[in-house]
Amino acid sequence: MEERRKKIEFDALVIGAGIAGGETALNIANNGYKVLLVEKDHSIGGKMILLSKVFPTLDCAACITTPKVSEIARHPNITVFTESEVTSIVKKTESLFIAKITKNPRYVHVEDCTACQLCEKACPVSVRDEYQFGLVGRKAAYIPFSIANPKAAVIDLEQCTLCGACERVCPTHCIDFTMETECFELQVKTVVLATGFQLFDPLKIPRFGYGKYKNVVTSMQMEREIAPTRPYHTILRPGDGKIPDQIAYVLCTGSRDDSVGNPVCSQVCCMYSMKQAQLLMGALPMADITIYYIDIRSFGKGFEEFYQQAKDMGVNFVKGKIGKISEKENGNLILRYEDIQEGIVKEAEHDMVVLSVGMLSNQSVHQIFDGEMLQFDSLNFIWQSDLLGSPAKTNIDGVFVAGTASGPMDIPDSILSAGSASSEAISYLIQH
Amino acid sequence: MASKINPAFQDKLKKYGAVNFNACYNCGTCTAVCSLSTPEESFPREMVRLSSLGLENDIKSSLKPWECYYCGECTENCPQTANPGELMMSLRRWLTSVYDWTGLSGLLYRSVTFTISALIMVFIAVLVLGNAMSFQLAEMMHYGHLFEMYVVFAVLAIIFIPNIARMWNFTILRPKVKANLKIYIKSLPDLFVHMFTQKRARDCDKEDNFRWLEHFILVLAYLSLLFTTVFLDWFGTKSFFVVVLGYVESFFVFVITADFVSSRIRKAKALNKFSQPSDWLFVIWLMLMGLTAFLVRLFIDTHMIDNNVWMYIVHLTVLAQWAIIIVPFGKWSHFLYRSFGMYFSSIKAASEKRKG
Repeated sequence: MEERRKKIEFDALVIGAGIAGGETALNIANNGYKVLLVEKDHSIGGKMILLSKVFPTLDCAACITTPKVSEIARHPNITVFTESEVTSIVKKTESLFIAKITKNPRYVHVEDCTACQLCEKACPVSVRDEYQFGLVGRKAAYIPFSIANPKAAVIDLEQCTLCGACERVCPTHCIDFTMETECFELQVKTVVLATGFQLFDPLKIPRFGYGKYKNVVTSMQMEREIAPTRPYHTILRPGDGKIPDQIAYVLCTGSRDDSVGNPVCSQVCCMYSMKQAQLLMGALPMADITIYYIDIRSFGKGFEEFYQQAKDMGVNFVKGKIGKISEKENGNLILRYEDIQEGIVKEAEHDMVVLSVGMLSNQSVHQIFDGEMLQFDSLNFIWQSDLLGSPAKTNIDGVFVAGTASGPMDIPDSILSAGSASSEAISYLIQH
Repeated sequence: MASKINPAFQDKLKKYGAVNFNACYNCGTCTAVCSLSTPEESFPREMVRLSSLGLENDIKSSLKPWECYYCGECTENCPQTANPGELMMSLRRWLTSVYDWTGLSGLLYRSVTFTISALIMVFIAVLVLGNAMSFQLAEMMHYGHLFEMYVVFAVLAIIFIPNIARMWNFTILRPKVKANLKIYIKSLPDLFVHMFTQKRARDCDKEDNFRWLEHFILVLAYLSLLFTTVFLDWFGTKSFFVVVLGYVESFFVFVITADFVSSRIRKAKALNKFSQPSDWLFVIWLMLMGLTAFLVRLFIDTHMIDNNVWMYIVHLTVLAQWAIIIVPFGKWSHFLYRSFGMYFSSIKAASEKRKG
């Protein structure tokens, strides 16, 4: 295995090609340095490329992300490795890190694929589409999503029956089942960690009935329903395809909740819920949207105005956290909560419930450092050794952190953080 | 009622076992997950809030602490680990001391030293009186039985009746609940239903009725054992039926309390995690009561008692400590306050309804 590792050399390694990692890579590359951008997924753009619009400006998320993603993909100084993972990093000297990278086979030669989707039509296997968060299905031979980059087919070998139908219809013969895992040994001078976050899994709160009641969805599922690249052409509840007109938001699902091990605020849920509420009012003018909250945290620039705007549009805000959800025979949901203004326990009926899930740390880089170990905070986010002085610094000199890998934050802050990480990385490259 | 905020009340409550309730951020999860909470009677968050603010009068006039049967769901689901279930428990302890006109209840809850001294004093008193009778078994058993009879009435007359009158005053009279005699009589069944069935405990834990069943059998076994020893003279009787009855009752008391003790040691559920000295005292002494009563009767039946007078002295000591300390001033009284709590609450509800 070791002999077959291809040796490659770059100035900077950026792990994670979400909005923070992409922005970091662009900044470093624009200064003339060679950057390797490693992404475990099939497309770059991270979670932001899948969003509908962004608060507080209500700009279209895809319209901001796709030009950036294209720029990253065709930048002469950036090399993108998708479906790849960094398995180890060792710091040899102040200006030399050795990283081992595994690039998993896509079974499609990206440069030859025209994204004609004939393989998709030919493939007989249907599975849940993870890019639409399970709302619809996809094939085992598929294009991840319409604005994916690289926009090329992928073969999901775990689901594939090896029938060969896709290979037969492919006009450019780009499907190749003989592709193998490639291993690389990378020499690099600096590393930026932009590994992002994970969404809270609401199955951990059984009293909300997620996974059991079909009309209880996560905010990410609702995000897909209102995105320009949405799975349906309108808003539908998953249970029976009815257009909902009483939608409830359950804030702090998995945030500020010690009983599920995440006692801190995720910083984005209040705002994205209000954003979704506003968009839903546009999409479904007759619908009533109720947001059940503990406290509304509209702390950022333009956020309070955004909150007032949501109120003025008629979004119903109720102070009180949902305690229990139960399902009626018709698929509607009964939400039990204490109305804090009145101090009375109440029940409300809604036909669709959105759980505003919080942000948890992504622990995928926790084990990759050999020798000098990377440090994490109590919630397993990457520890910032000089939070106020140089927020992008980690405990390892030459390793920097960008975006939500260091803690929950919104998109404007992630991009700011990426700016900081890239400046630090560039200055490190100049010094060493 | 004008109320003044009193942050010092928190420290007072901590002495009654409250933990971390000030961490509450008023989300209402506890109230929403509570299976006993209703739109008319919503708790426990309100009680947590009143406790944090130190609004003693509002707590004193509330019956909500007695309406909670501590299933522990609020505590398990509390996002701030503010432990509302244990706060409700502590409020019941505090209210017990508030209702008690002698003030001894509060002393016993707050001070372990005082509790232990009281237990030792009772033990010494038993020894002194035993000595005065030259430890003659027949005489001791005679007076022991008399003591049992008198203490039941004395505790009722001197402690419980005035205390329940005080509870009535705090929760009905002072808040000016308008209720006529008809309401008092009509609500009376509630008093006895809750006293003898603890049916709310059943509603409390819908999935698991075992805790309620255990408690229910314990109450029945305990009350009938009390009746058997006091009025049927279990230790003196020749009736085979009464003898066997007493054995069965004391056996149940012993076995169930032993299970309660073990779940408190294992901290099996939320309600077992924060045992206060008063909780230990209550279950252990009840267990000892069952055990020693069982053994005394066994010693009598096997004719071992004459050579083992100590067995009776042990039982008498446990009995005296139980009857003089734990029953009037300790956790035993929750049996009465809970049932009267439900009674008063139903009176309140009826008067509200009449008001429209």
